[in-house]
This record gives sequence, C-alpha cells and structure tokens, in this order.
Amino acid sequence: MVSTKLYTAIYAVLFVSATIQVLVEFAGLNYWLAFGVIMVLSAAKAVLVAAYFQHLRFEPRSLTYLVSIGLIAALALTLAASYSLL
Amino acid sequence: MVMARGFGSSVPLQSGIVPRGSRAVVFDSIFEVFLLLGTLVGVVVLGYMLYNAYKYRFGSGNGDFDEADRLTVGELPTGGGGGRKLFTSFFMSMVIVVSLISWTYLTLLYVEEGPSAEDSLHVEVEGYQFGWRFTYPNGHTTDGVLRVPADKPVRLTLTSADVFHNFGIPALRVKSDAIPGQETETWFTANETGTYTAQCYELCGAGHSFMSAEVIVMPPDEYEAWYESTNGTQSSENTSAIHSADTNALQPTAPANAGRLTEVVV
Amino acid sequence: MTDTNPERTDGGTVTDDHGHDFPGTGSIKRWFVTTNHKDVGILYIVTSLFFLVLGGVLAWLMRIQLLVPRGPGETILGPLAYNQAVSAHGLLMVFWFLSPFAFGFANYIVPLQMGAKDLAFPRLNALSYWLYLFSGILFGVSFFQGGTFSGGWTMYAPLSVPTFTPDVGASTAVLALVLFVASVTVSSVNFLTTMHRMRAEGLTLRSLPLFSWTILLTVWMMLFAFAALLAALLVLSSDRLLGTTYFAMESPAGALLWTHLFWFFGHPEVYIVFFPALGVMAEVFQTFTGRRIVGRKWFIIAMVLVAIQSFAVWMHHMFLTSINLQVKTLFMITTIGISLPFDLMVFALIYTMLKGKIRFTTPFLFVFGALLLFIIGGITGVFLGAVVLDYEFRGTYWVVAHFHYVMVGGVTALVGGLYYWFPKMTGRMYDEFLGKVHFAIYFVGFNLLYFPLFVAWETPRRVFDYAPELAPWHQLATVGGFVLGLSFLVMFYNLFKSAFVGDPAPDNPWEYAHTAEWAVPSPPPLENFDGTPTYRNGHLEVIEAGEIAPRRDRSDTPAGSSVSADGGIAASSKTAVSTELPTVESTAVEGPSHASIWPFVLSLGAFLVLLGLSPLQEAAFPSGMAGAAYATTAVGGGVVTLGSLVAMGLEPFHGPVFEEGEAWPFSGIDNGKVGMWIFLASDVVLFGGFIGAYVFTRFAFGWTGWEPIPSDPIPGLVNTYILLTSSFTVVLALVAAEKQHKGALVTSLGATFVLGIGFLVNKGLEWQHLFHEGIWLSTNVRSSTFFLTTGLHAAHVIAGLIIALYLTARAWRGAYLEDSRSVEYFGLYWHFVDIVWLFLFPLFYIL
Repeated sequence: MVSTKLYTAIYAVLFVSATIQVLVEFAGLNYWLAFGVIMVLSAAKAVLVAAYFQHLRFEPRSLTYLVSIGLIAALALTLAASYSLL
Repeated sequence: MVMARGFGSSVPLQSGIVPRGSRAVVFDSIFEVFLLLGTLVGVVVLGYMLYNAYKYRFGSGNGDFDEADRLTVGELPTGGGGGRKLFTSFFMSMVIVVSLISWTYLTLLYVEEGPSAEDSLHVEVEGYQFGWRFTYPNGHTTDGVLRVPADKPVRLTLTSADVFHNFGIPALRVKSDAIPGQETETWFTANETGTYTAQCYELCGAGHSFMSAEVIVMPPDEYEAWYESTNGTQSSENTSAIHSADTNALQPTAPANAGRLTEVVV
Repeated sequence: MTDTNPERTDGGTVTDDHGHDFPGTGSIKRWFVTTNHKDVGILYIVTSLFFLVLGGVLAWLMRIQLLVPRGPGETILGPLAYNQAVSAHGLLMVFWFLSPFAFGFANYIVPLQMGAKDLAFPRLNALSYWLYLFSGILFGVSFFQGGTFSGGWTMYAPLSVPTFTPDVGASTAVLALVLFVASVTVSSVNFLTTMHRMRAEGLTLRSLPLFSWTILLTVWMMLFAFAALLAALLVLSSDRLLGTTYFAMESPAGALLWTHLFWFFGHPEVYIVFFPALGVMAEVFQTFTGRRIVGRKWFIIAMVLVAIQSFAVWMHHMFLTSINLQVKTLFMITTIGISLPFDLMVFALIYTMLKGKIRFTTPFLFVFGALLLFIIGGITGVFLGAVVLDYEFRGTYWVVAHFHYVMVGGVTALVGGLYYWFPKMTGRMYDEFLGKVHFAIYFVGFNLLYFPLFVAWETPRRVFDYAPELAPWHQLATVGGFVLGLSFLVMFYNLFKSAFVGDPAPDNPWEYAHTAEWAVPSPPPLENFDGTPTYRNGHLEVIEAGEIAPRRDRSDTPAGSSVSADGGIAASSKTAVSTELPTVESTAVEGPSHASIWPFVLSLGAFLVLLGLSPLQEAAFPSGMAGAAYATTAVGGGVVTLGSLVAMGLEPFHGPVFEEGEAWPFSGIDNGKVGMWIFLASDVVLFGGFIGAYVFTRFAFGWTGWEPIPSDPIPGLVNTYILLTSSFTVVLALVAAEKQHKGALVTSLGATFVLGIGFLVNKGLEWQHLFHEGIWLSTNVRSSTFFLTTGLHAAHVIAGLIIALYLTARAWRGAYLEDSRSVEYFGLYWHFVDIVWLFLFPLFYIL
C-alpha cells in the first residue's frame, strides 16, 4: 500500500510536530492562541497516525465512521457537560 | 425556543392559558390537565387495543385474514399494510405531546425567571447529613426550621456541606438539588400560614428518611417582629420546642434528631 | 457484498486443525467448557433468573419495611441495611438480571435468525458469560464485607466515596460492576462483528428479523454507553481505592461530574434494557396474530432514531441541578423527540392485530400485557418530560412507578419470550394452562404492586418514613409485590417440569412463525443448519455445505437435505425427528464448536484480582493478616489471569467457518479487524470519558488558573518521541511480516517492546520525582486527574507490552510470516494508544 519511505517521512513529520508543540508553549504566545495551535497540531498528528499507520485511508470508510461515532459521543459529552456549567 | 414561538401569535390569550402564580398553583393546574388528558388517551388507546384483540381473536371469523398471504417459516421479513392509519395516529399523538409540552414550556420560563430579587426574601439553604441549615440576609442562622412570611416570594439558594441532597417542600411544590460545590436557585410563595415539612429527595445516607425541616409560614407582621428579634446573631433555634405533632405528619419524630442520627447510624 | 476469506481466527492465533472432544449436555464439564452460542444463551438465562430471585427478595424486604411508615428505631431493616437493599435491588435488577436475561435470548436466537453457525468469536462469548457470572458472585461477596454499596443504583457522588460509605463491600460492589462492564464490552464487540459480518446471503440489514434488529441496536448502544460507564466506574474505583479526589466533596464539580458520566450511560441504558423486550413483542405479535408487522420500515427507522438520540437526552435526569436554562430547553426538546418514535412503534404493534387471527397463548398474553403496561409507563413518562412537572416529581414515587411500568413492562415481554422460545431451546412444550395461570397472577400482582405507587406518588424515593395517609397504598403495593413474586413459582415449576416431561416440540410449534429459528429442529443441532443457509431466492434455503464448511454426520436427516422453508410442511415432517433430541448434541462433533476451559479460568482470575484489590484505601492494603490475604488473592488472581490469557492465545481454536453472506458495512474486512476496530471505538469513549472528566473539572475549577502538574514538559516530550518511534517500529514489523522477513519482524517487535519499557521507565522516574515533591494522587484534583488519566494510558501501554512480548516470542519461533494479521491488529491497538498520548501530552504537560 504505502512504501517504507512514506512511513519514514510521516514519522519524521510527527516527530517535528511534537517538538513544535513544546516550542509554541515556550514562545510566549497568548494562551488561547497557543492552545489553538497546539491542539490543531495534536489533531493533525492523530489524523496522520490513523490514516497511514492504522491505514484507515485504505480501508472501507465504514471503519472511519465507526471510530468517528465514538469520538463524536465523547465530544458531545464533554462539550455539553462543560457548557451546562455556564 | 422554537416551540415557544408557536404561541407567539396568541400573546394576549397566553396569560389566561399559561398557569401563573405560586408554585403550587402552577403545578396543580398543569398536573390536572396532564392527568385528565393522560387518562383519556390511556383509556382510548388501551380500550382500542383490548377491543381489537377481542374482535380479531382466533375463531372469531372477523376481518379478512388471507390464508394465502400468511406468514411462513423462513420468509424474508417484510411489513404488512396499514401504514396510513399508523401515520395518522402517530401524527395525532405527536400533536398532543408537542403542544402539551410547549404549553408547559411557557410556564417553565415563568418559573425559571421567578419573582424579582427586590420583592423577595432571600434565604440560603445548606443541606448536611442529616438536616438543613438556613441563613437569612442578616446573617441569622437556624437549623431545622425555616421561617418565612406569607404571600411574599422567597428565593432560596441551595448548596450542600457534604453529599448530594435535594431540598423539597412538597406542600408548596418547590424542590431543588443541593449539591456540594455548586449553588442552585429556586423560589416559592406560601399563601397560607401554617407549618409545612421540607424533606430530602436524594438518597444521602443512613439518615435520609429522617432528613427533614420545618417550614413555618407566618403572618407578615409576626415574621417581621421575629426577624427584627434575631438581630443578625448566629444562634440556632431550639427546634423541638416549636414542634407540634399535627403539623408534622411526614415526620413523626423530632426533626432535631439530625445530629443524633449521625452518631447513631454512622 | 461477498467475502471470500473464510474466517479462521478467534482473535487468537491460527494453528493446526484438530477437533476437541465435546461433552454432552448431561455432563457438568460441558457447561464449563462450552463456547456454543446456544449453551451460552441457556447459561445466561438460568443465571439471570437466579439474580432475578435475589433482587426480588431484596424488593420484598423493602416492601415489608414500607408496610407502615417507620420512624427511627421502628425499622425492621436498619437505615443502612434498607439503603443497601434499595441499592442492591436496583443494581441487580438493571445489570445482573434484565440485560443478561435478554442476552440469553440474543445468544440463542440471533445466530439462528441470521443464519450463522455461531458468533464470530465463540470463546469470547463464553468469556462474556463467565465474566458476567463472576461479576455477580463478586457483587454477592460484597454483602459479607461489612455491607454492600448503599448509595443507590445511581451511585451519586460524593456519597459513593469512602468518606461517606467506608465499607469494603461498597468498593467490591463498584469493582463487580467494572467486571460486569468488561463482560458487556466483550459481548458488544462479539455481537457487532457477528451481526454485521455473518448474515446469510440475501439477509440484508433491512430484512433482518425485528428481534435481531433490536439486539443489533441494543449492542450498538451498549458499546458506547458502557464505555462511558466504565470511565465513570474506573474513576470511582480510583477514588475509593487509590484516593484520587474526582468526586470528593471538595472537588469543584465532582458531584455534577458523576451525574453527567452516569446519565450519559444511564439514559441509553433504559433503551438497552427495553429494546430486546420490544423485539420480543414484535416477533410474538407477528406470530400470534398471523400478520406481518405494520410499517416495518418505519418501526426500524424509529428504533434507529431512538438509539442515536438516546445519547442526547441524559441531562433530563438533572433538571434540578445547576445546569442552565438553554441546556434544559435543549434537553427537554430532545426528550420529547425521543418519546415520539415510541408512539409509532406502539401503534404499529396495535395495528398489527387488526384483521389478524389472534391466539391468546401464554407468550402472546405476556407480550400483550407488556404492551398495555408499556403504554401506561409511556403516558406517565410524558408527565416527566414537562420540566415544570418534573421539578416536583423528582425523587418521588412517580418516577419509581413510571420506570417500573416501563422496565418491568419490558420484563413482562421477556417472560413472554421465554415461553415463546422454550420449546425451541428444550425441545419440549411447556404446560399451557400453567402458563396462563402464571400470566393471570403475574398481571394482577404487577398492577397491584405498581399502580398504587402512582397514587402514593408524594412518597419520597428510598425513604421508609412517609406520610401515614399513604400507608394503605403502600400496603396494597406490598401485597402486590408478593403476588408478583410468587407468580414466578408457577413459571419455575412449569418450565422445570416441562423441560423433562413436556410434550416433544416440533421444529415450529407456532403456526405463522416466520423467522429462521423455527426452520431448524428443536433444539437445533450444534451447528444450527445442515449446510449453508441462504436467502438468495427470497426465502430461507439451506444449500449443501461448500468446500469450506465442515461436514457433519447426522443420522436424523439425509445429508444435504434442504431444510425447506415452507413453514408447516417442514415443521410437521421433522416432528418425529426432533424428539430424539440429545443424540445430536452428545456426539463428539468436529467443527467450530470447540471446548475451552480458559474463558472460565480467565474470569476466575479476574474475579480474584478484583476481590483482592477491594480493601485498598489510599492505595494501601489494610494491615495484618486480612491485608496479606487480600494481597495474596490479588497476586494469585493476576497469575491466573495472565496464564489463562497466554493459554487462550496458544490454544488451537477455530472460529465458526464463515460462508459468503451479507457483511454490510464491513464487507471485505475480516472479523478480527472489525472486532478490533469496534473495541477501539469503545476505547475512544473510555478515554473520551476520562479526558472529558478532566476538561469538565478544569472548566469548573477555572481553566487558566489550573497549572499542569509536571512543572517540566520535557519528560513528556521525550515520552512522545518514544511512543512515536514505537509506532514506527510496529509499522516496520508489519512491513517485515508481509515481506516474510523473520529477522526484521523479530527486531521490530523487540524494538517496540524495548521502547514501550523505556516509556514506562521514563514515566516511572517522572512520577517518582513528583512523589518526592510530595505530590500524590490524593493531593488535589489536579494531581488526581494527572495521575489517573496518564495512569490509564500507562495501563494500556502495559497491556500492549504483554501482547508485544507474546508476539515477539512467537515471531522468534517463526509465526506471522504466512499470516501477518495478528501483528496488524496489535498495531491498530498500539497506534491508538499512541494517538491518545498525542492528546494527553499537550493537555497534561503544556497547556
């Protein structure tokens, strides 16, 4: 499906992106800006791992939906519960 | 919100249709309507069901049961006819339920808003295992007895000192959770003087059954006199002294047992 | 829609084919080693009925206490004993009776209805059962450890923490629930894989029988809802055993956190226990009216809507907490929304009777009665949907009466199901007269018990000191309780006797039954069908087994004969045959239904571990002999658990041979992979629950005022590097396995193992450092969330390492070169653990 070379490249990207996350923290940005950047980087890494290492990209889409349902359920719980505190 | 808008056109009518007043009035009028309609719907549906079960019983010869079209083992499951009737009934039940709930939603908005803060007496309620503590605006604190004036809205702010409790005065139709670390608000207006009972409605431990307090609704002038006399001191009232058996139907034993119970049962 | 790969794995490994001796049903050994879905179904039913009796006796104790209002000192049960009875009754009935009872039928009937020989993972199915049984035993043990849990079945915090419920038994009860959830999770994965992947050809989801549909949706809800419950229970266990402070009364919103986590599970749970009953109703209505259900498509759509929406109504249990008006409004709307599909289902059932030929047999009576009761339960439920009314009904017997009408209404239908399928399961007819007697007593008892509770609705829940004027109603209810309970004696007598001396049951004792279980003998042979069932021509046919399917000698039917689907004809021709029931089952059979003792042993081990851990407080065993005994039990249990896991991995075992069939939406992905992904989806919710708990707590605390516990993010960054690298080595391992390169495979797997150890060592050093600074799990809620969430992740790493070690050892001996799937599935898990860390690292170290 995918060459070892591509896997290696993805691994490198993941490695660098983790480093950037910590650098962003030390860069002294506004908290919520840094928060946004760091979370987006985490999400991007997660997508890369899921798509290539777990080869979801090459599987029937139903598996992606399956995991997404779990993700949506967890997000709904977290967001609605937190919002109810307001 | 969407449902509230449906009633928007009938605003002048609304004040008549939407129950307002004390919590007891609001609850009782809505409960009555629900009970009436609920019974009616129940009787109609169950009656229809029983009637048809009888009518189409085996051997009755009713209906046009088609032997050729009967169910056979191993067929791929499919549906039978009668869809239109199904949707008519479904639609009717939907209209009933949605309009009923929308109607009560308007009352909910009224209840949620409550009386204005200036007009109300504000009391802080703290639940603990197993009793209730009340703090008045002047800082006076009582244990096990809440005194309020008649006809004046009372706003309660509730919390808990230990576990999850729920404070309710059934006769006045007021209830709210008392949660540690959180504050909830509710309100009520008592129109009749007298002594009522408040109880805990959330399982909170061994003394849960006996976790009650007295709510004494006083004539406004008497209340004022009493309130002046408290003078903001942190004294506790001796609850058993004012306890009388007939006003405490839900609470056959002394309400001041809370502290003792803690020692006895824990 | 076809899958040419025959399934051969059970999530374990594939080795040589050799048959096991499979003892007959008369042998006790059979019931310990069986993995057959029908055996497991019967085990579930019998065990759940035992818990029904237990929960029922507790209910009797409560009803006796409630005969008159009782002040302090006038009680029969002490206040704490009463609370224990209330709590244990609720927990036993909801968890250990209702769902398992329904799943007894699901186990027995669903594979038959789908045309499968067994579930996808038979050993995991046996494991589910044994975990369930041992979780129930563990719950039973809790009564003898100073008293079981006494905080209600809803387990509201902070009453549920040891500050307020210090008994060891209370911890044991929580751990018993954890074990139960483990059983449910295994079962959900198994059923979902089976039901999506192993349907007979032509049996699309759309044409799945309604009972199977309800089970399918139930299992989907279970998968996600029980994962949320698991998160809640693990946090609670940690608060009780390790001293974390999530739910402590000082926690910023601990009490609310529990209500969210619990009800996010709790509301779907209502449908989880009710849906199977609905499925039984639909099947029995069709059979005994002789008509196909009206609006079948809409019935299914309504159920799907309910299943989805059930995850968006949980806060209607919290209308009186401090949640804001917008949320209340939203949840009021979703609550009404979820009630409407039920109207449609009820009307569909009622209209199915019209123009029918209704035969009032025992199953129909029960199911018909159940519908009546459910309608009453539904109408009284609408009252609760009106928030203003809910404000007053909260915590009163209105709620108690309502949900008993719904839940026990469901039980009524399931009892109908028991009569309905009894002939299929035993090959004997029950006594119809006694069945009707049972129904009459049951129905009177039910209404005598629960209806007065509506009248006496002003009684507060879980209170035995109530207004004296309500006493007559409570006395009626108590009488009703005894009538209802005793009616089961008639059933037990009837079914027990009939199982031995009842009239022999034909294949299909019910005219107009249509689902596939009635096309096979009663009881069905071990592998259900005589070949490969198919619906390619629009009705059930059993074609001769292809080269994949194992042949089986059966003396009672000509080989390869088509179990024709022509209802009555097939039924009558088989009548004589099925009277000689035990012959088929007692012969040793070659095929998928193998024996394995390991599910039993594994569950025993897990039971011992949890029992051993139960007295922990602040992560310490009590001193003295008792503490040492408990610690030894835990360690011993751990050894047994690990040993049986390895034994299960090495045991040669075949899953059912899988014919071509319907597999939407997972066609082309093999069972093991589908199972793994379904499990991971539930794990997403588990971690989602933990991360959600952290976010919620931090939000209540004040987001930006919350300092991360580790002052230095660098150890966390190093661990991120390590995990990313280990993910990469797992990828390399799979590449090596596919290229059949043994050396590279072993090296990559070994590297993964070493990196995982490195991750744990680094984490251990970091924690050691924090402990030295005086930061411990119980220090504050910040440290609690940090240690517990990263600890759960570390536990996943440890589980992964055990598997990695196993794989490495097997690869060393040449495994996985022909079939790399085990490596691939392990990779899916390992990458998931990696992904979780990608979120934990920023959330707990840098933000």
